[in-house]
Amino acid sequence: MANSNLPRRIIKETQRLLSEPAPGISASPSEDNMRYFNVMILGPTQSPYEGGVFKLELFLPEEYPMAAPKVRFLTKIYHPNIDKLGRICLDILKDKWSPALQIRTVLLSIQALLSAPNPDDPLSENIAKHWKSNEAEAVETAKEWTRLYASGV
Amino acid sequence: MDSDAILSSSEDMHDANDVESDEEGFYSDENEVASDYNTDDDDVDDYVIEEDEDGINMIQARRPENNYIVLKELDIKERQEDDITSVSSVLSISRAASTILLRYYNWNVSEVHEAWFADEEKVRKTVGLLPGTVVQFAKPRELMCGICFEAFPRSRLKSADCGHPFCFECWEGYIRTSINDGPGCLMLRCPDPSCGAAVGQDMINIFACDDDRCKYSKYLLRSFVEDNKKTKWCPAPGCEHAVNYVGDNENYDVSCLCSYDFCWNCTEETHRPVDCNTVRLWILKNSAESENMNWILANSKPCPKCKRPIEKNQGCMHMTCSPACKFEFCWLCLGAWSDHGERTGGFYACNRYEAAKQEGVYDEAERRREMAKNSLERYTHYYERWASNQLSRQKALVDLHQMQTVNMEKLSEIQCQPESQLKFLSDAWQQIVECRRVLKWTYAYGYYLTEHENAKKQFFEYLQGEAESGLERLHQCAEKELLPFLNADGPSREFIEFHTKLAGLTAVTKSYFENLVRALENHLSDVGCHQAGSLATSSKNGTSKGKGGRGKETSRAGGSSRN
Repeated sequence: MANSNLPRRIIKETQRLLSEPAPGISASPSEDNMRYFNVMILGPTQSPYEGGVFKLELFLPEEYPMAAPKVRFLTKIYHPNIDKLGRICLDILKDKWSPALQIRTVLLSIQALLSAPNPDDPLSENIAKHWKSNEAEAVETAKEWTRLYASGV
Repeated sequence: MDSDAILSSSEDMHDANDVESDEEGFYSDENEVASDYNTDDDDVDDYVIEEDEDGINMIQARRPENNYIVLKELDIKERQEDDITSVSSVLSISRAASTILLRYYNWNVSEVHEAWFADEEKVRKTVGLLPGTVVQFAKPRELMCGICFEAFPRSRLKSADCGHPFCFECWEGYIRTSINDGPGCLMLRCPDPSCGAAVGQDMINIFACDDDRCKYSKYLLRSFVEDNKKTKWCPAPGCEHAVNYVGDNENYDVSCLCSYDFCWNCTEETHRPVDCNTVRLWILKNSAESENMNWILANSKPCPKCKRPIEKNQGCMHMTCSPACKFEFCWLCLGAWSDHGERTGGFYACNRYEAAKQEGVYDEAERRREMAKNSLERYTHYYERWASNQLSRQKALVDLHQMQTVNMEKLSEIQCQPESQLKFLSDAWQQIVECRRVLKWTYAYGYYLTEHENAKKQFFEYLQGEAESGLERLHQCAEKELLPFLNADGPSREFIEFHTKLAGLTAVTKSYFENLVRALENHLSDVGCHQAGSLATSSKNGTSKGKGGRGKETSRAGGSSRN
């Protein structure tokens, strides 16, 4: 029922996501709720997440696109801007959201965040501390976690 | 004979200080009082020496000499409009644009001008006022809205100065969301994430519904007060006035039109003679958890096993901690109860404790508890007096109101005098209210006087004692001695004497408190020369060298000998 009056914008975005997906990113709406997307992001090359396949969920709230989509990681990930529950610290998901942004741009930003962790604006205090005090070791842990939890299935 | 004595001392005090205080005019309450009564006859107070000057002050009292201006909502709007108009005409930009600029520069007109003429391009870039359209389109008949991705004819699309087109419906949604998110809507930018073009009130007025337009204006008004370094809202509950401070950072006492007096600097209630920092400390202290801690420390011991604090309120020394701990111990030595018995001196005494106490083993903990207890008692002493003066003041405010609304009229009938002749009554009550306020804060002052300032402390307590008894006298007279006249059947000659006495007391108390405030503000430093005259007069019955307590007694003795 929720799907019957889905805004044209969401339909168009969905069609485009399916027909011309961004590299390393796939997003497909759930069958029973067109506002709920199953997302996969490949770990970017030359990042500690390389080789990993990360599952996320993305939900478009009623106010979308006036309000930002809600996104979180389902796959465990060792990253200073992502917490235990998979919540993501990213400005465009909060105060920097603009209705001219899209699902595609959001997911691309998240992919970029994997390439460039920002321990100065941490969500997970411990991981950020680790990152700042011993980056090499933290990167090792991130690789380890990628191998353990994101090695695709 | 009564009033003779009082009058003479009143004149002493006036000679010493009163002229100054009127010239400085820094005591806002004076102006407040004055302006309230500027239509009244002035010839009532024979005792006030500077009658004429007062008269002049009364007429001018409405603000020009004041440190501040109270602004009603309309005044705020008017000032805001004026500033917007001025910037808009000087810089030749739209009103919406000049509003955006002013908001960015905290409504400081000269700062806007300065920044603009220094580097217009840079300013335009930071606030989002683009010099012209950045997006140029070839001219297709239809364009796509950047939000809903629908195609629209140009006439159904609108853009900010940048030219990024969005359809009407999406603009409405964008603006509605932003306004309902709060005052951040005042800094709204074009929805295109790469574009920083400002979206101003002109766009808001096109696309927002009436409610939201109203909200936006409210935010704008609030911003004008809150972002402006020289204005603050009156903190009184429900009051919608703002106060614009134009003074020289010396006296921050302001009095709002709603009759709430507050310190503009810290927005707490007026607190002379103590400074803002002391007030902050005191308020913090009053609410501080530390006082609870002190109490726990002084009145409880931790269970030796689980360390929970235990208050012993009755019973024997055999303690059993509450479940789940259930540890049984001796209150005196804090040892396990199982070690107690006949060999420690019977079940209900503890020889170990007695012996150890004599050897001094328990002194440390005991001393700590003792200290905490003392400091708590000291604080309580000051707090109680502070709070009771606060209560007293509130009661006096009620009485003042009663006087102004009911009793003056009643008395005027009974005593066959015009109400203008009874102004001395509300003057007295107004003075009582003010004195209670000052007295209240002297207790915070006293609390923060350190132990080693002993001489100062004694002198302070003496002054405080004098102030207190002086005020009591005035309060007593205004409250009790008035009663017979209120209940009388007709005019009585004694009423004239009462008038003389009360007005005299009001004047004496007023100048005494003014001196007190000044002395405390100077931290009792120049007390020797400045205050010598007036304080010597009031303390001639006793040497002021005694302890605070004795000082008080002396002053009471002085008071009663006069009555």
